[in-house]
Amino acid sequence: MSPLLAIDDLSVTFARSGLLSRLINPFPLPSFNVIDGVTLSLMPGETLGLVGESGSGKTTLARTILGLVRAAAGRIVFEGREVQTPADFRAMRRRSAMMFQDPVASLSPRLRIGTLLTEPQIIQGLPMPDRRAAAKALLALVGLPASFVDRFPHELSGGQARRVGVARALAMKPHLLLADEPTAGLDVSVQGDVLNLIGELKRELGFAAMIVTHNLAMIRHVSDRLAIMYLGRLVETGPTQDVFSAPMHPYTATLIQSEPIPDPRRRSQNPAVTGEIPSVFRRPSGCEFHTRCPIARDRCKTEAPAYRPMGADRMVRCHFPLETGGQEREAFSRASANQRGN
Amino acid sequence: MSGSLTASDLSVRYETPHGSVHALRHVDIEAHPGEVIGIVGESGCGKSTLVTALANLLPANARIDGSISYNGVDLAKLDAHHQRLLRGDEIALVSQDPMTAFNPVLTIGDQLVDFQHHRKDLGRAQKRARIAAMLGRVGIADAERRMDCYPHELSGGMRQRVAIAAALLTDSGLLIADEPTTALDVTMEAQIIHLLRELRREYNGIIIVVSHHLGVIAELCDRVYVMYAGEVVEGGEVDAIFHDARHPYTQALLACDPARFHERLDRLPTIPGSLPNLTQPPSGCVYAPRCDRAFAPCGSVAPPQVKLSASHMARCHAVAP
Ligand SMILES: Nc1ncnc2c1ncn2[C@@H]1O[C@H](COP(=O)(O)OP(=O)(O)OP(=O)(O)O)[C@@H](O)[C@H]1O
Ligand SMILES: Nc1ncnc2c1ncn2[C@@H]1O[C@H](COP(=O)(O)OP(=O)(O)O)[C@@H](O)[C@H]1O
Ligand code: SF4
Ligand code: SF4
Ligand SMILES: [Mg+2]
Ligand SMILES: [Mg+2]
Repeated sequence: MSPLLAIDDLSVTFARSGLLSRLINPFPLPSFNVIDGVTLSLMPGETLGLVGESGSGKTTLARTILGLVRAAAGRIVFEGREVQTPADFRAMRRRSAMMFQDPVASLSPRLRIGTLLTEPQIIQGLPMPDRRAAAKALLALVGLPASFVDRFPHELSGGQARRVGVARALAMKPHLLLADEPTAGLDVSVQGDVLNLIGELKRELGFAAMIVTHNLAMIRHVSDRLAIMYLGRLVETGPTQDVFSAPMHPYTATLIQSEPIPDPRRRSQNPAVTGEIPSVFRRPSGCEFHTRCPIARDRCKTEAPAYRPMGADRMVRCHFPLETGGQEREAFSRASANQRGN
Repeated sequence: MSGSLTASDLSVRYETPHGSVHALRHVDIEAHPGEVIGIVGESGCGKSTLVTALANLLPANARIDGSISYNGVDLAKLDAHHQRLLRGDEIALVSQDPMTAFNPVLTIGDQLVDFQHHRKDLGRAQKRARIAAMLGRVGIADAERRMDCYPHELSGGMRQRVAIAAALLTDSGLLIADEPTTALDVTMEAQIIHLLRELRREYNGIIIVVSHHLGVIAELCDRVYVMYAGEVVEGGEVDAIFHDARHPYTQALLACDPARFHERLDRLPTIPGSLPNLTQPPSGCVYAPRCDRAFAPCGSVAPPQVKLSASHMARCHAVAP
């Protein structure tokens, strides 16, 4: 089977602009790679989780894939064809959909839900004899009452607004869904609801999904594969279960260890990682994680590690990956000193 | 100074053009020096209303009933002037969004000097020295230089640390942190949890942590109050809440947390239904419309507070002591 989406060595560059940011960081560098050499693929029907701390470039990557941000270098191949011209991107966007990070803000406040739900098809010039009926069918698809066609976005709860976001994204029967933090700000009781809905519709309609998030507890249940991002670069990819049970990159391992466990008998002793995420405007030398890595050695400060395969379907960017039974893994557990009580 | 805090039969209504919102109803809580108290519940259940009432900072459209006493003093009986004094000197609130806690046009140092206005005995240089020491304590390296920064020049995690430092500089006996890690990444969250845990070793006052994140509550708190639709439905030691929850809502909330399951779940558990309309709270149990154990009395009779042990309480018809 060939991938639905393949991106190869994709980079995105932003020029630093604005007086304020120049005052804060007055280095005369003209531009920065916010996304740097990202290579990824997504099979039809697959769910990929894209994980990283805030500012790591997750949203930018998703927007670049859809052509909403211009790539400085690299290739995007969708359904077997390279996407290059604005017309190519438009064609791709007709077959894919994006759920934005803030659903209420991304729904125009003066339009009623019924109009919002059918707007994309109208813009694409698709025939729609009865807009209200189409909107009601979409509301039914995501389990909302038909009476919501006449409501305004601010009259919905957070979870209901996400459901409208899902309905709007799926109105075009996409082959690919890009969902940016689909459950941020939702309670756990409602989060499951939105994710179950996406899962059910995936099974029914068969689209592939890329879910952008920093919520590890959630993504381990809803993704088939994971891609971990640090400062705009992928540092590890692999099957979700494998990555969680045996993370190989020290950054992945610290993220998993940092997650608070809802059990007071298993409190963590120490934070797994200290220090702040560095800025993409001032990337550390060598391995970019060395400023926070619990097992960094001298070589890490000067020599950038290659992104290399570690077994089937696993890629890791580290000189000293944490292999099962290896001395690095042992060194990591000792150095991060984050034993939990039992 | 530090003392115990008690709220008895505390109710808060917000008067709005659409009627009164009964945001808090008949809440009893207590907290003692040296304790970390957790307040947990879904969005909109009244957590912020409760802590804002405790900190005496409710908006003008709020009406409050019941009593709050701190260190033996009934706050409602104080005049406005003394309430203000108490607020500044005794109660420090670290709010949900660390950005809004600071004035964007003043440096961190200048603002932290202002936080010490009650220390008439100290000069500016002494106050700055205290700030540098406090910033060091909350893990901000290079404190001297950071004092000359403006709030937007700090990352979210740093601002949250500065907000905690600011709260500690007031020397108050009650530190309230409303969702202190919600806006942060998991690595920063772990660091703030660690910081708060370190602080409690030396800090002799009460720390109240509000969160909808069960992991944060489990990591930090000694005792927990679980809120639903404006009521405290269960309260107890952190271990009892996480390992022997008795209220159906607490049990459902715990069961929903995907962090509890390591094997992949095909469907994530949820709590069907939604919070009741707080302009007309249900007459029986507030959780009855969503409860899978509801039976005859639940729809019409408000459940009593059932005492399960010296420290464990649940408000439900179905639990027996
Ligand atoms: N100033 C106000 N005027 C009217 N209603 C209010 C006001 N502040 C809060 N409410 C209402 O009171 C209830 C409790 O709100 P509160 O903000 O205390 O909940 P919360 O648990 O802190 O929620 P969140 O986690 O979303 O902050 C909600 O129904 C809310 O809409
Ligand atoms: N339009 C833009 N101009 C300049 N910098 C940007 C722009 N959009 C994003 N960035 C920067 O790119 C980095 C990645 O941002 P983003 O994709 O929003 O990350 P995330 O979604 O993971 O929070 C950040 O450092 C951000 O400040
Ligand atoms: S290359 Fe070195 S610093 Fe980077 S993650 Fe691996 S061990 Fe840590
Ligand atoms: S009182 Fe009844 S409805 Fe309320 S939580 Fe208990 S069993 Fe459920
Ligand atoms: Mg983002
Ligand atoms: Mg709140």
